[in-house]
Amino acid sequence: MSQAALAYRFIEERLGIDLKSADAATELATLGVDSLTLLELMFEIEEKLGVNVGENTPPPRTCGELAQLMERVAAGKTAVDGA
Amino acid sequence: MSARRVAVTGLGMVSPVGTSAPASFQALLEGRSGLQLLEPAEAPHPLAVPAGVCADFDAGAALGKPRAATMDRYSQLGVAAALEAWRDAGLAEAPGEDRSQWGVAWGTGMGGALTFERGYREVYAAGRERLAPLTVVQAMNNACASHLAIQFGLGGSCATYSVACASAAMAIGEAFRRVRSGAAPVMLAGGSEAPLAYGVIRAWLALQVLAPGDAASAASAGKPFQRQRAGLVLAEGGAALVLEDWARAEQRGARIYAELAGFGESSDHANLVRPSRDGQARAVRAALADARLAPADLDYVNAHATGTREGDAVEIAALRAALGERLPQLHVSSTKSSLGHPLGAAGALEAAITVLALHTGDLPPTLGAAEALGLAQATGCRSASLKGVSWIRSSWSRATMAAPLVCLPRAPSASAWVWSTSMASSPVPSTVSVIINSISVKPPRPRRGSRLRFSWSTRPLLDSSCGPARRPAAPGPRRNPASRSIRRRRHPRLRRPPR
Repeated sequence: MSQAALAYRFIEERLGIDLKSADAATELATLGVDSLTLLELMFEIEEKLGVNVGENTPPPRTCGELAQLMERVAAGKTAVDGA
Repeated sequence: MSARRVAVTGLGMVSPVGTSAPASFQALLEGRSGLQLLEPAEAPHPLAVPAGVCADFDAGAALGKPRAATMDRYSQLGVAAALEAWRDAGLAEAPGEDRSQWGVAWGTGMGGALTFERGYREVYAAGRERLAPLTVVQAMNNACASHLAIQFGLGGSCATYSVACASAAMAIGEAFRRVRSGAAPVMLAGGSEAPLAYGVIRAWLALQVLAPGDAASAASAGKPFQRQRAGLVLAEGGAALVLEDWARAEQRGARIYAELAGFGESSDHANLVRPSRDGQARAVRAALADARLAPADLDYVNAHATGTREGDAVEIAALRAALGERLPQLHVSSTKSSLGHPLGAAGALEAAITVLALHTGDLPPTLGAAEALGLAQATGCRSASLKGVSWIRSSWSRATMAAPLVCLPRAPSASAWVWSTSMASSPVPSTVSVIINSISVKPPRPRRGSRLRFSWSTRPLLDSSCGPARRPAAPGPRRNPASRSIRRRRHPRLRRPPR
């Protein structure tokens, strides 16, 4: 399984959100994902995939931004690098 | 502020025998055991102990995955129970109210024990340098209460009580006082516990108070009041009660399950683990005095009875000391025989069970309690102390029960005072001085000439009595077609003078 697929599956397991089919404009807050949840999520992504999201990464606000972040993380780039 | 009456208008529970209050209570009436053999995963040394596990509880389904992911399991159990209670009280659909004085009082003994264990594993066993960012806010003892205040918009008191096995009983008592004094019109009260971490179990084993068992005997490992009792069974669970100013509850047409009538507490000031008869009796007397009741007004005791050698015996002695001649007429049962001991949450589960027992007229049994008559000898009490409990042998044989003897107390008498004691004085590793709490609950006053109806069948009753919230107010306990009708004796203490 590719890194991106792992990341997507992880999001689905933890948040119950299918990023592939989710509306990119949907705000994470409306799905019950707050800043603390994101903080925990990023930590787990880093541990699970062995990547570094980057301390200065702006937190994603929408499903679309979360999907972009997962793609960048899966490609081995930090969000800051990819921005 | 003048004293107000305190109504119980909502109940919720997640227990080893059910994921809701009605399901749990029904399972108790049917004599089901929620105890099983627990073998913790990733244990550095093999370990298997009987435990009360909420195996059917799905936190993601109950709370939503994002919310569940921010919580330790003790908070998940507590918030799920509170959500049920809130909906049950019909408060979930009443937004826009001023809730700045509403509050939450929560009890837990060990808080986020599983989160602590996970953290220690990471830093010590796995040698990791950093920990998950939510470790602190998941593990802290006030996490669950904080989640509840946020969830329901409660702007008043938000306090957590941690007094070992009396934690939730203490929380309910303090919430009761706030509503009675007029400080809060509505309080959410209860407790939750999730202590089934490998290290925690090892610690309890070291204290030598856990009941042994294997796969075949685990379901009946808890033996409260039995001569062969060999210890308590650790359990997880959560329960919540919505306490509400009586007049307010009546005004909005809420269903009122029962009245919380009194609360008492005491400290043994003697020993960290050895309970004291006199200390417990003081708490019982204090609760009676607070409720302006006499021992003769009581009909049922949901005992703390954890199944330890010393604790159960002392508890019976304390009840004898406090209740005297009334004890032989009392119905006594320990639902820990089915649920195990959820430590700081015990008082909440048992208060909810007691309220339902009063509301439906069905008393939950002590599993295997035919053997409990041996308690008289085991405790040195005269057998008369248990005469009031009429044990009925049943041959219900369930595959999960190695000892399929189920005993049911008699139907309650018409006076219907119910008493629930929650005592933190059994031999448990209370690291605080021993504290005892008692809660006494009494039913709503029926209209003049009305009848209370009791049933003690084990048929399902809860579909009619614990249905969805927003049910129109009933004047008293709901009628069950199979129930017996007993004319309620007019009780002089019903007409309490104003405080």
